[in-house]
Amino acid sequence: MELEDSYYPKAQYIETATGNRVSRGSVLCGSQNIVLSGKVVVLEGVVVRGDLANVRVGRHCVVSSRAVIRPPFKKFSKGVAFFPLHIGDHVFIGEGSVVNAAVVGSYVYIGKNCVIGRRCILKDCSMVADNTVLPPETVVPPFAVYSGSPGTHTADLPESTQDLMTDYTRSYYHHFIRVKDMPSTPRESATTARLVDV
Amino acid sequence: MTSLKQLDPSVCSVKVSPGAVVCLEADYVGDITIGARTVLHPKARIVAEAGPIIIGEGNLIEEQAQIIFRLPEGTEVTDPPPVMVIGNNNVFEVDSYCEASKIGDNNVLEAKCCVGSGVELTRGCVVGSLCKLQCPQVIPENTVVYGSQLSRRVQTDKPAQLTLQLDFLTKILPNYHRLIKPKKKPVP
Repeated sequence: MELEDSYYPKAQYIETATGNRVSRGSVLCGSQNIVLSGKVVVLEGVVVRGDLANVRVGRHCVVSSRAVIRPPFKKFSKGVAFFPLHIGDHVFIGEGSVVNAAVVGSYVYIGKNCVIGRRCILKDCSMVADNTVLPPETVVPPFAVYSGSPGTHTADLPESTQDLMTDYTRSYYHHFIRVKDMPSTPRESATTARLVDV
Repeated sequence: MTSLKQLDPSVCSVKVSPGAVVCLEADYVGDITIGARTVLHPKARIVAEAGPIIIGEGNLIEEQAQIIFRLPEGTEVTDPPPVMVIGNNNVFEVDSYCEASKIGDNNVLEAKCCVGSGVELTRGCVVGSLCKLQCPQVIPENTVVYGSQLSRRVQTDKPAQLTLQLDFLTKILPNYHRLIKPKKKPVP
């Protein structure tokens, strides 16, 4: 199944040499500590907290609008430390999700409005359904689907998950097409309305 | 230049006590007072439409958290206007939404929770992730609201100390963000 084309105006996105497409409406704090490995799409309203610790995002990832990527912290007897956050390749993060995980593997799908608690570990080829709350330090095993609040193991993914996620994130990138000016389509008015709404 | 616009005196007046770390890159509307040792992350949103908001000491307000003081429709504006008071050592996590009329001390609003208007949080309360409290009510002390069924229990252990985290953030946030400088105390 082919994804529908979505368009973005050239003026509102920055395309880097490695093919990352980052919205000007996103907030990357401490950008010297953030590594986007290439062909990563970061939509508007995203917050990435590189000022707290290093954040590394693998290739062909998609970070949807209003998602927050923030390194987790842990309290010690003296002081607090923030841990670096690693995200693998071909990861999709849905709208408005808050990712406090320590590690997110490759080929992981995170739905909309999820809260991934502090220092969670999401193994390769796992999935977190929409509106899930993962309590701190949860480990999601490979090929598992977690859903609910608090999140529990509810289903399993097929063995082809790796190929499915590769195809999905690749085609998302290729169907995210640059246009010079956004034609005044209903799509445009919908996005501006959402901006005012938030 | 947006940062200048946000601190337009006609839109907002933010009073910051010495020792607080308040990022410029957040949205402020109306009359806001922020107490000492409070840390306000970038992209937070504080809207004081109905009257002033007074935030106490040692609070932690993370990005995309919204604290909104708005009168319900149809109520008359009184004189002097009502004041929203937030106590000490509260945590407002990422994307939490708070319209509560009064907040005491040591409360935690976890990520993406929603506290509607007319709700009063007393002390040591925890509102879990994705929990929505909409009806006007007073939440008794040390209550924890959690899960999809909004289950409640009373916690016996003391609320965790925030000071270590605040100390760390006050150290590193000024390296990366522009802050609102505290006003010098007027000499009496």
